Amino acid sequence: MADKVIAMQSVRKRYQEFPVLDIPALELSRGIYWLKGENGAGKTTTMKVLAGLLPFQGEILLNGAVNSRSQPVQYRRLINYAEAEPLYPAYLTGKDLLELYFRTKGGDRQPVLEMLAQMGVDNFVNNPVSSYSSGMLKKLSLLLAFVGNPSVILLDEPLITIDTKTVAQLYAFIRDSYATGVTFIITSHQPLDGAQLSVAGTLTIENKNLILN
Amino acid sequence: MSVLNRIFVRRFYVENTGFFLVLFYFLFGVVNGANLLYYHMGLMEGFLSNSGFLALVLGLWLLYNLKCIGFIIKTLQLPQYSFLYDTLTCLSDSDRKALWLRQHFRMYLPVIIYGGIAAVFGIYKHYYIPAAIILLFNVAMCIWPMWVYEKKLWQPDVFFLSTWFSRWLNKLFVKPPVLYFYYELFTAFPRKIFTTKLWSAAVLWLTFFLMGQSEFYDVRALQLGMIVCVLLHTQLMIHHRAFDEIYLPFMLNLPISTLRHYSRVPGIYALMLIPEAIILYFQSAGHFTLLPLLTSIITGISMLILFRVLLYYPRMNAEVHLRWILVISFVLLFMILGDVNWYAVGMMHVMSAMIFFRKFPEYEPWIEVE
Repeated sequence: MADKVIAMQSVRKRYQEFPVLDIPALELSRGIYWLKGENGAGKTTTMKVLAGLLPFQGEILLNGAVNSRSQPVQYRRLINYAEAEPLYPAYLTGKDLLELYFRTKGGDRQPVLEMLAQMGVDNFVNNPVSSYSSGMLKKLSLLLAFVGNPSVILLDEPLITIDTKTVAQLYAFIRDSYATGVTFIITSHQPLDGAQLSVAGTLTIENKNLILN
Repeated sequence: MSVLNRIFVRRFYVENTGFFLVLFYFLFGVVNGANLLYYHMGLMEGFLSNSGFLALVLGLWLLYNLKCIGFIIKTLQLPQYSFLYDTLTCLSDSDRKALWLRQHFRMYLPVIIYGGIAAVFGIYKHYYIPAAIILLFNVAMCIWPMWVYEKKLWQPDVFFLSTWFSRWLNKLFVKPPVLYFYYELFTAFPRKIFTTKLWSAAVLWLTFFLMGQSEFYDVRALQLGMIVCVLLHTQLMIHHRAFDEIYLPFMLNLPISTLRHYSRVPGIYALMLIPEAIILYFQSAGHFTLLPLLTSIITGISMLILFRVLLYYPRMNAEVHLRWILVISFVLLFMILGDVNWYAVGMMHVMSAMIFFRKFPEYEPWIEVE
């Protein structure tokens, strides 16, 4: 159990009376996972449940010890999430968001600030996010997912909206973080580049259940 | 060119209603109505007779002028107004400059009026040089922005001061989460916050007026006024919930304890009643000690917290919410009349905390299905 980074037990999620997820049990070891599924299959819901954004029934354990329900703060220190279509209050600046994440998630600022400069977000960091292009906003949201000392990073459609140079940079960041022990779950309608990332397994949602192939 | 009046002047006053509310409050709200004229005459005499004070006033007017200029420049930068470049550049120089002058004059008008009265008052009081300075300064404030507008029109990519200034401010300050909803209110719903605060101030003034008429100053009457003020604020709570649901889900992934999430609610609603606290303080001079004032404010804040927390029941729509608010206010009124105010405050806090700690971790927006 201890080598399992994520353990889901009887996880059920409903939107009002409509069941969306029903995962009896699933355990994932350290690795990079590609979460596949058609539109509406429940990929984003799965990500949001894992990230602690949506209430659910059941239990999720991280690193075999940290329980999503009884240790919500520790749990959220270990799992980061970047949304497919990030939305922040228009007047917040990149700096406001970065400071909020640094203050709450902790960790070393330097690597994130270096990523910020590499992606070219540093020039815009003092501007409100309302002035960002969709690509710039996506970059900022992806960077925020690397703040702190997470064990798991969930990236929802990270390859859309961003340019090819940034895609290559993102692959490098994922490889570097994975080398330090971070597990990734990535949803993408496009196949992940096998030459850039070695995927440990593919996750699919079938009949509301999350299955590791 | 009434269309330009609508694009610049009308939008400026509409979008800055919150700003004008605060300004109006500090100029006319903090003083008893009977002393208002003497207050302003004293203020004018103060800056007419003291060069340091005069410099400060001129500095504030300059800041307001920069605000007006910034608004016009930002409007010109908006994509929906890009047609202005094609149309305005077709006008003759003199027509265009006259047009800029008219737009800017209308936006700067509040200062022109106040400065004009101050200058006339200065002449009447034989402060000729300060009066002349005020007149010349305000004429200059109306004319020099034309140069900025012309430069912007012919060089649209010019880097403007306000962008630099706001970047500098953003570099200096990090917005704390407790203020997020206020930024939202003042940027997205300025009219709503303006009218709420205006009505709230009117209720408090009326409360003091009625107490003054009957010469019966009672803390329970004060609290009744405060209950009405709180009821006026409850319309903002539906916006608050919608704002949290739409823009702040990302914060749920942050390692923030439920207690810290909860502490944001009293923080937001304590800040909400600061203007009312100031009004109470100034209006009650000589009639109430600090304790009844604090009692009223704390009662108001406690009510606001409870009413906001009720919205963590997902099925609580605006109509059901209002019913609960009225029922609770009714019960509270009787508790106040029965002099058990502090029990009521305590109960409201216990209920708020219980609801929040139970409902917040499980909260999810409810979608009404027909």
